[in-house]
Amino acid sequence: MDLILIANIIACLGALGGFIFGAIKFFRPKKSIYALMITLFCGVTVFTRLYQIIRVIVIGELVDRVNLGVIGFIGSLLFLFTANFGVMDKIGDDGAKSLRKYRLIPLAMPAAVLAAYLVFFFFTDLTTLIKVVAGSIAFFVCLSSYYNLKHLILPDVKNGIIDCMRQYNLFALIYEILCIIELITMTRGLAIGTIIICSLMGIVSPLTIISVARGVKKWKA
Amino acid sequence: MESLEYILFICIAVPLLMMIPLLKGRSRQLLGFTLIGILICLFTSELNSLLLPLFDNDIVYMTTVVTPVIEELSKMIPILLFALLFDNKLDTLFVLGLALGIGFGFFENTLVLVQNISNVSITWALIRGFATALMHGICTLSVGLGISFVRKKRKLFYPGLFALLTYTSVYHGIFNMLQVRYQYVGLILPIITYIPLVILQVVIAKKAKNNEPDNTPEPPIFE
Repeated sequence: MDLILIANIIACLGALGGFIFGAIKFFRPKKSIYALMITLFCGVTVFTRLYQIIRVIVIGELVDRVNLGVIGFIGSLLFLFTANFGVMDKIGDDGAKSLRKYRLIPLAMPAAVLAAYLVFFFFTDLTTLIKVVAGSIAFFVCLSSYYNLKHLILPDVKNGIIDCMRQYNLFALIYEILCIIELITMTRGLAIGTIIICSLMGIVSPLTIISVARGVKKWKA
Repeated sequence: MESLEYILFICIAVPLLMMIPLLKGRSRQLLGFTLIGILICLFTSELNSLLLPLFDNDIVYMTTVVTPVIEELSKMIPILLFALLFDNKLDTLFVLGLALGIGFGFFENTLVLVQNISNVSITWALIRGFATALMHGICTLSVGLGISFVRKKRKLFYPGLFALLTYTSVYHGIFNMLQVRYQYVGLILPIITYIPLVILQVVIAKKAKNNEPDNTPEPPIFE
């Protein structure tokens, strides 16, 4: 069987586990919209992987032309971004001057992603299509990873929820780093590397929602 | 036969349109959104045929990559406008989204039927009825559900909306891709997503019937 297919199946199953867990736990009235967003992240990841699996089976190619898998990846990253940017950020960061360094330090993450993109994609002889696709995914990784790192280091003075969500932010950050590494391995045809990375993503994606559930429980206690 | 789509549109839409002034409240909204779905289907079918030459007439690529995005974007706009201008309650957007999607699916089925009249069969009708129309309904329903959540906060709105679009486009893309080779597997996808939605709706309705409205305040991260 195609190794890329196996890699996508592993990642899909992991995300499916996370989505089912999240759906059972959070798809109810008056549940946290934050957790709902992370559940939807798992849901979009399932559909994206499923799309890639079916595309490999039906059409036989994955990276020759732009496909909806790319949009799916962007969508899943946007759910991660929306959760932190739209829901959590104002709880932890009230705009105080004392928190300025916690707004600046996380810029290291987008800078690292940008550097990785320039080295592994932009200044290489890969096709323009791959450069554009990798660039758009890297851009959304930059957006979401900034907030994940920010909420990982931000001191929690008021509410206690930022503290409870640190584990989730760590897993989300790992997931985003794995996204970039998967792009690198896949565009270079490193099938074994892609399988390893997708297996890790298959483990990390359900851990994101499990850690959110644990965080919410801890915060409520 | 060039304007067959328009002839069909007039035949179907005009009687429905004439019913609208006679209806009131939710019934009027439902019929209105079904009609909008029909209109959007006509618009996207024209747009797709205009775009096809740009993709070297590659129908498979068009239907698995381009069409899902165009159709989902077009279906999202009326729901979005309704949520922005009138009402963004979950139950309203849920049913209106479904009505729009079903209207779209209904007209698409009719168009495909008249274009392939010699190749249709009962199996074809079952697949189109249970799968395609339902898939369109579920996609728009999800958009309606999603908008009711992301509309609550400005910061959630734009990224949330784009995320919703990507989700529905990918879902639609999977379905269209399955239609290329595994039509029968494609039939399962909308049904397995439809059943949990029905259960959810029944559970919510049952709870609402049994319980007093819950007016307890929500904690800060609970919106």
